[in-house]
Amino acid sequence: MTGKKLSLERKKMLAGYVYIAPWAIGFALFMLYPLIYSLWLAFHEVVGVGNFDLELVGWGNFNKAFVLDTQFIPLFISVVQDAVINTPLILVFSLFIAILLNHKIRGRAFFRAAFFLPVLIGSGLAMQQLLYAGVGKDTLVNGIGVPEEVFLYMGPTFSQIVFDMLSRLTVIFWKTGVQILLFLAGLQGISPSLYESARCDGATEWEMFWKITLPLISPIILLNLVYTCVDSFTDINNRMMVYIKDTAFTKIEMGYASGMGWIYFLFIFLLLIIVFASTRRLVVYTGEK
Amino acid sequence: MKPIPMSKTKQRVAVRPESIANRAKALRNNSVISRISSKSRWFALIYRIFVYVILIDLAFVFLYPFIYMITTSLKHPVDLIDFAIKWIPTSLAWENFYYGMKGLQFWTHFNNSALISVVSVIGQVLSCSFVAYGFSRIRFPGREVLFVLCMFTMIIPPQTIIVPLYMQYKTIGWLDSVMPLIVPSFFANGLRGALFIFIFRQLFRGLPWELEDAARVDGCGSFRVYWRIILPLTPPAIVVTTLLSLVWHWNDFFEPSIFLTSEEKFTLPMMLPRLYQSLDTLTGSSFEVFSLPVVMAATFLALVPMLVVYLFLQRYFIQGVERSGLVE
Repeated sequence: MTGKKLSLERKKMLAGYVYIAPWAIGFALFMLYPLIYSLWLAFHEVVGVGNFDLELVGWGNFNKAFVLDTQFIPLFISVVQDAVINTPLILVFSLFIAILLNHKIRGRAFFRAAFFLPVLIGSGLAMQQLLYAGVGKDTLVNGIGVPEEVFLYMGPTFSQIVFDMLSRLTVIFWKTGVQILLFLAGLQGISPSLYESARCDGATEWEMFWKITLPLISPIILLNLVYTCVDSFTDINNRMMVYIKDTAFTKIEMGYASGMGWIYFLFIFLLLIIVFASTRRLVVYTGEK
Repeated sequence: MKPIPMSKTKQRVAVRPESIANRAKALRNNSVISRISSKSRWFALIYRIFVYVILIDLAFVFLYPFIYMITTSLKHPVDLIDFAIKWIPTSLAWENFYYGMKGLQFWTHFNNSALISVVSVIGQVLSCSFVAYGFSRIRFPGREVLFVLCMFTMIIPPQTIIVPLYMQYKTIGWLDSVMPLIVPSFFANGLRGALFIFIFRQLFRGLPWELEDAARVDGCGSFRVYWRIILPLTPPAIVVTTLLSLVWHWNDFFEPSIFLTSEEKFTLPMMLPRLYQSLDTLTGSSFEVFSLPVVMAATFLALVPMLVVYLFLQRYFIQGVERSGLVE
């Protein structure tokens, strides 16, 4: 009796490994091996460009990044700063938009489509063409309808600050499509009967937001937080990434580039562990066993 | 059977409606309550207007790149210089799109892009949901460690592993083919595969366990539970993954630009920076004359397939979301 039960448990466990298998194989082939190779490269440097001769330099590449290279640390700090400023802005803005879109309003399908559209451009080559053409600069000013006279009254310095801030916000807003979509999917999943019963008990909209909406979409908030962080850190157009890419392929310092890559993503990894650990208590799963 | 005394029932029936009517009357006459309700009606109206104003305003910001692209692509060079003309060109210059098509060599590269994107999407939806089922619904030793490892792959900057990957593909002869771009997708890797596993896992975890228990009692194996019960219950996750995977594969240029070397294998967006060059050879003269409107026309053409797919999927997305809303 007990033997049979044990084997069943075991069978179920083995099934778990079968489900993970495709990912594990892919991970070993397309991630783990290149990653280990790149770590090995980080302790070496290319000396002969022609036939890719390597020379052991030990911790030299890491020393170079933190001590010798004057560009690495300022770039690193500016990238972290961007992420720290942009992430809360994106999260709050996208939740705000998702809640507005969740109302019973006319043209909901249109608005929903409109807010996702910039995601179709992405941050790839098409977006680059648009930014070369100067689209990012005057969008928010035109969009909110701030008249140019306002900028005249503000004086050149202050108006320049406001203008820069608005154009920066525009580019941030264009990146929120995915987050809005995920929040909306989460909000749609909340049963209306919860709000009804809360309303019967005399709860206000404000209370319902904090007591019903927020706890029930907390898994989606975590998802969006992780997504936004990773998106801003591994964006191809991120200045740190461009610097690493140039070091590897233009200067052919592949060892140094691998070293910087390793420093960079160990930092991201630590950050994510902190995020997961600190939100563990805050996230509510309804179907948890 | 004992008949109920007539007087008693009459009494009960008679008291009730009267008291309800009285109470309703009192409510209607109560000025405080009526004031509150009219106040809340005003508040609701103002709130509604506020919602519309904000939404229309921000929708314009989000639509601006497209409006700009379309209007600019239909302008003649003369209109472009004229500052009085901001949105509506004096006459529509459809030839910009003709040059855009020519410059991009549209159909060749459209086919390349479509092949890479569609095959990758199919691979990622199937493999990522399969793996996510294992990560969310089956308990086995080492699951949490493996999941952390899986998330770990998401944050590896592509630049860190590109050199070893290049060498690896070179030895198996996959360079200058679509294989490096589509094969990892079938192993739940590829472009942000870990994120799709995360999306599926989050939604799978939210599903009630009773469903699965019931199916298991009825003798369903775990694969059938995944394929027939869990997966059909998460259309939002499937549509979200399909859409995002498609758009990202379509717009991705980092990996294709390294693994694809011959121009006839390039994806559609990869032709955008080459536009001037290829139009110069086509027209036999310096391309500067056409400049911005043709570039915008070509950019728009490179995005049109995504727009069409999105408009088509949008409907299914709403349906899927509403169906999952009923489930919970």
